[in-house]
Amino acid sequence: MSATSSLSRRTFLRHSALASAAVAFPAVLPARLFGQHAPSKQIAVGIIGVGGIAQIHIDTLLRFSEVRIIAVCDVDRTHRELAVQKINAYYENQDCAQHADFRELNRRPDLDAVWVCTPDHWHALPAIDAVRHGKDVYVEKPLTLTIREGRELVQAVQQHQRIAQVGTQQRSARNFHDVAEFIRNDGLGTLERIEVLIPANNKYCGATWQPEPVPAGLDWDFWLGPAPWSPYTRQGCHYNFRYNRNYAAGQVTNWGAHYIDIVQWALGMDRSGPVEVSGHGEYPTSGLFTTATKVDFTCRYANGRSFRCRTRYDGVYDGNLRFYGARGWLDISRNALRASDRNLLREVAARDKKIQLPSSANHHDNFLQCIRSRQQPISDIETGHRTTTACNIGELAMLLGRRLKWDPVKEEFVNDPVANRLRQRAMRAPWSLV
Amino acid sequence: MSDAATPGAPVDPEPAARTPFDEHYERYRATPDPWQELAKLEYGADRSYATTVAGLINNAEPAQRAGMEKKLLAVLIRSDCTAAARAFVCQMLARIGTAACVPALAALLRDAATADDARFALETLPDPAVDAALRDALSSLAGPAKAGLIGSIAIRNDKAALPALQSIAQDAAEPALVRETAARAVARLNRPAATS
Repeated sequence: MSATSSLSRRTFLRHSALASAAVAFPAVLPARLFGQHAPSKQIAVGIIGVGGIAQIHIDTLLRFSEVRIIAVCDVDRTHRELAVQKINAYYENQDCAQHADFRELNRRPDLDAVWVCTPDHWHALPAIDAVRHGKDVYVEKPLTLTIREGRELVQAVQQHQRIAQVGTQQRSARNFHDVAEFIRNDGLGTLERIEVLIPANNKYCGATWQPEPVPAGLDWDFWLGPAPWSPYTRQGCHYNFRYNRNYAAGQVTNWGAHYIDIVQWALGMDRSGPVEVSGHGEYPTSGLFTTATKVDFTCRYANGRSFRCRTRYDGVYDGNLRFYGARGWLDISRNALRASDRNLLREVAARDKKIQLPSSANHHDNFLQCIRSRQQPISDIETGHRTTTACNIGELAMLLGRRLKWDPVKEEFVNDPVANRLRQRAMRAPWSLV
Repeated sequence: MSDAATPGAPVDPEPAARTPFDEHYERYRATPDPWQELAKLEYGADRSYATTVAGLINNAEPAQRAGMEKKLLAVLIRSDCTAAARAFVCQMLARIGTAACVPALAALLRDAATADDARFALETLPDPAVDAALRDALSSLAGPAKAGLIGSIAIRNDKAALPALQSIAQDAAEPALVRETAARAVARLNRPAATS
């Protein structure tokens, strides 16, 4: 028999079809941000990449009186102009600037922070450029496309002493926090196994595709950026980029970045990671999309704990996480928290656990507060890199079809030179991590 | 029924001449060779032969990789090798290439139209011959292609390139993009080993 918690915070903003990457943010904003309690100095924000996911960030940031969005950047003129229209309409002025090149935006001296909401292959370069130019950064998940990019970004943030928040906002949701904290305190007793479900690739195309004329206003060469050259085709660009290995790693990093992130948190692995990974994936043999359509891999940690990440086929476009321990099981997703025993739910919600994890009630607000305090945010850059790495080594184990041993200290595979080469990719000129 | 000879069975020292049946049957038995078909790969077209090759490469035992590298290089030098095939071959060489592929890739590296493909293959290949090839190409490329090349050199932490990069960084004749990339590369190569 299982028990279900009535969510104490049914606070997720919305599940937008536009943003079906299913990023959801708490709708309740802190009262101190409005009216007479608003901080006097506004935080000037620029947004790089104003496509699907950025719409949610814009909607959320506009509601913070301590924030002013003063510039946006996109290589698609339509995205740029629609974003500027929305922002100017809200502020009732014409002040928001638009840029077609992120380097121009990052060099603006009037910006405090930059949101990086580009496709995955365009996360590392704008973020590194931003911190080099003194900006704090909020980087959407997955943090980077490759493991090498992730380490480079971490080093840049540390070298330039910037604040960086990763868009793994489930850490700012009460139930995910409480479950992670409960597991960290061995609340389930001896932990036996962890099951992670992620949605299936929800888009399909045929075995062939046709190159198409580039739409007016889209700088396709810039959109490709560091990725290998390819002709334009509509399904290979906005949103569906995530199903092409040149630009992303499919649902493994799209949803895995959220749910594996909670596993890493619960297991206390934010500065480490698995030591072994094995699995099997099914990849399309032809057609535009090249990421795994069926995911099944298992990561094992040095302490013997492990998680298995699989594709779910029940049509639910959300992940799911279930911990099995000696005292029963806990099951959490974005809209439900269930347990094998109602008493476990009470214990999960208790505030008196011995080990207390950092908490945040709002992912954006947490970042904004840290910009002022210079403290580390709830999803700091190293944490995001380690979570993305766990996702990426799982994807590589499926791609190579063999068990891989991973050294989380050296961040290299053990005795597998082919796998090690796949930790990084060259970039199309003129782009590089330099 | 297996294609292979039965283990232990007597082997005919002089195989019989091909019969009309053999000729007839071969037309049914033969299937395309994915390594040959690979050269015709086009963007948007059926890529299943390329997928087959990628699967063979990913699953290869270490001892098999040299033979596969030769097959990839054979595709690369074919006159009918398409741009899509060249890009794919280079991405596969990035996984299994050795010093043996460097001469062929060095030729691609000196042409701005193919330099990116070559760098995709070379940048992850841990062999000193790669560093020499990348340095040699500095005098052949210009503009964005040269900036990309400098990036690869710096990512590989090739300190032997420092004099050339310092010279480029200070060369007023170079476009700003190249000079600035070279300056960042010099700074990167000069930083302490722990952060390289």
